[in-house]
Amino acid sequence: MAETVKLFVNGREVEVEAGKNLIDALRVVGIEIPHFCYHPALGADGNCRMCLVGIEDGRPPLVPACKTPAQPGMKVLLDDQKIRKIQRDIMELELINHPVDCPVCDQAGECRLQDYYMEYDLQDSRMRVPQVTKGKRMDFGCGVVHDQERCVLCARCVRFTRQITKTGELGIVNRSDQARVTIFPGRPLNNRYALNIVDICPVGAMTSRDFRFKQRVWFLQKDEGICHGCSTGCAIYIDHHREKNGDDVIYRYRARTNMQVNGYFICDAGRLSYKRENENRQDLTLVDGVVVDFEQGIAAALEKMNKARRPLLLVSPDATLEQMWAIKRIATFYGATLSGYSDAYRIDDDGDDFLISDDKAANRYSLELLEIDRDRESFQAALAHADLLVNFDNDLFFSPINESLQRLLGEQDRISVCSHQLPVFSGSSVILPCASPSEYGGSIINRHGVLQRFRRAVRRNADPRDILEITHLLGGAISSAERAWPGIRQSVPVLRSVEPEQIPVEGLLLNNSEERDVGP
Amino acid sequence: MRDRSQLQAAGQPFTFDAERNDEFERLCTRYPIRESMIMPALWLAQEQQGWISAEVIEYIAERLDTYPAKVYELATFYTMYHLRPVGTYHICVCRTLSCYLRDKQEIVDFITDEIGIKPGQVSEDGRFSLEEVECLGHCGTAPVVQINGEFHEEMNVEKLKAVLAHLD
Repeated sequence: MAETVKLFVNGREVEVEAGKNLIDALRVVGIEIPHFCYHPALGADGNCRMCLVGIEDGRPPLVPACKTPAQPGMKVLLDDQKIRKIQRDIMELELINHPVDCPVCDQAGECRLQDYYMEYDLQDSRMRVPQVTKGKRMDFGCGVVHDQERCVLCARCVRFTRQITKTGELGIVNRSDQARVTIFPGRPLNNRYALNIVDICPVGAMTSRDFRFKQRVWFLQKDEGICHGCSTGCAIYIDHHREKNGDDVIYRYRARTNMQVNGYFICDAGRLSYKRENENRQDLTLVDGVVVDFEQGIAAALEKMNKARRPLLLVSPDATLEQMWAIKRIATFYGATLSGYSDAYRIDDDGDDFLISDDKAANRYSLELLEIDRDRESFQAALAHADLLVNFDNDLFFSPINESLQRLLGEQDRISVCSHQLPVFSGSSVILPCASPSEYGGSIINRHGVLQRFRRAVRRNADPRDILEITHLLGGAISSAERAWPGIRQSVPVLRSVEPEQIPVEGLLLNNSEERDVGP
Repeated sequence: MRDRSQLQAAGQPFTFDAERNDEFERLCTRYPIRESMIMPALWLAQEQQGWISAEVIEYIAERLDTYPAKVYELATFYTMYHLRPVGTYHICVCRTLSCYLRDKQEIVDFITDEIGIKPGQVSEDGRFSLEEVECLGHCGTAPVVQINGEFHEEMNVEKLKAVLAHLD
């Protein structure tokens, strides 16, 4: 527990963490100080003036809370008459040229300006002169659309490109009421984290081309999830919505703050990977190319597996720890060879030193922990030798590098348990649809060894089964994620004392060693 | 304040000539923070070319290892930088409070009527250009007009007529 200090807010004593600025420190105890420009990742800028508070200790009458560290005994005034007046005045200033187009603004419902207007202002406009007009729907590149008129010039976006991505595409040009955020002509946003700008913009000035006008935010159900785009395992929000009688559709991923994994941001590729959850899904159960009931599919698969003398089970490096364990158990049950071969999930030199990783598999670390073989040669040898391949959603052709494998696969009798219609699964004699990561829960371990747990977010009409349930139907002993844990604890020393229900929201760092680059 | 963000291209790459390059290098030693050199560098470029083109901004950003957008910010913020070619006589009229209250608008209107140029424009013959600028620091003797760097204080239309008449 960090050191704490006691101070007074509006006469009430509170205990907060020492050294933090007032905005962050007081938020923890449920006291919000309004602000636009301050963002914990970008530091204090002090340009919006919205967070001005009074402090009764002889310092200037008003100080910006974002630049004022919490100190013992401090007497902070938030509700004072003069503070309320300042807040009203700042709001009036911000709204002088701001178009009141909340009904058609994509940010309505999650806009600070809108919230603060309701909370602090509520006055009619006194403006009798024409508003300053600026650029609308400007394409800033990377899917970011800018509306200059809605901008409150908090400069969060500008600071983001300078401090976080270090690409500096944005700047504020001109001065006074002509000031506006823009790009240098001919040099649009060009970085792999650009859509975070949309997240950090406190108003509707920065919107995502991908999400714009697709859905009103108050209709979205916001669930916590973990990005499966690469082995960093960033914490995300999964925003989805189910129309009446329709299917549950994911509309976007947003960054969820997790200081142990991704901080405040996620990469654009991960953010847009929600599309994978919606598109190209395998909904039908097929036996020899004929559509059948799921139960018939299971029966056909069972028959094949019971007949097979040398079955080979292939596990996906995206599967959860519990799923991997269940597949491992079922492999033992059938006396099958088990492989976690997944070279294709790696894109060399794609990663950076921030969030993006070369390894596009979410849970390769668990393959190593469960001692599941990941070697190419042994997989290929096993494949040549096997008479049945049961593929649990492993996309061997994530990148087109495996032509020799493709030939081998073509000759093999295959059962595919798959969430998506992918080339690798076509030609399988039995295809069983399964759930994609947003549709099941479980635990994954990222490349730094952080164990995170996520829950099911999405339920579809044609509800696909979790791989874990399917292994159970195919004769496996594990029927649920909870039931997998006693076995996991027993066989993996580092997880021996882990209670899945007690894993903190930020995840559990399994060991303190340096980052492990878990090989294929 | 008009919008100054419409950058023009000169159509040819910009580099400092030998003299300005030496001056640039000399000034660099005086600024421990390299980005502080943006303004003097813009000034040098304007001295050489007469105005700040898109190429100048890119060149300076590269020389100072900073972002073009940052140089762009400063060039558009300060009215002393010309973002397009100016006339032989560049007339700056202060538009900030004291001058505003003491009828700077009459002077601007006079120039617009007489020479036919609005703030930001250059006369057809290329002799005059007009800019409304931020505070010139002569509030005590407002309104003030600056022509090619020379200050004319307590200006009014009559005095301006006389000043213009004396320009060749």
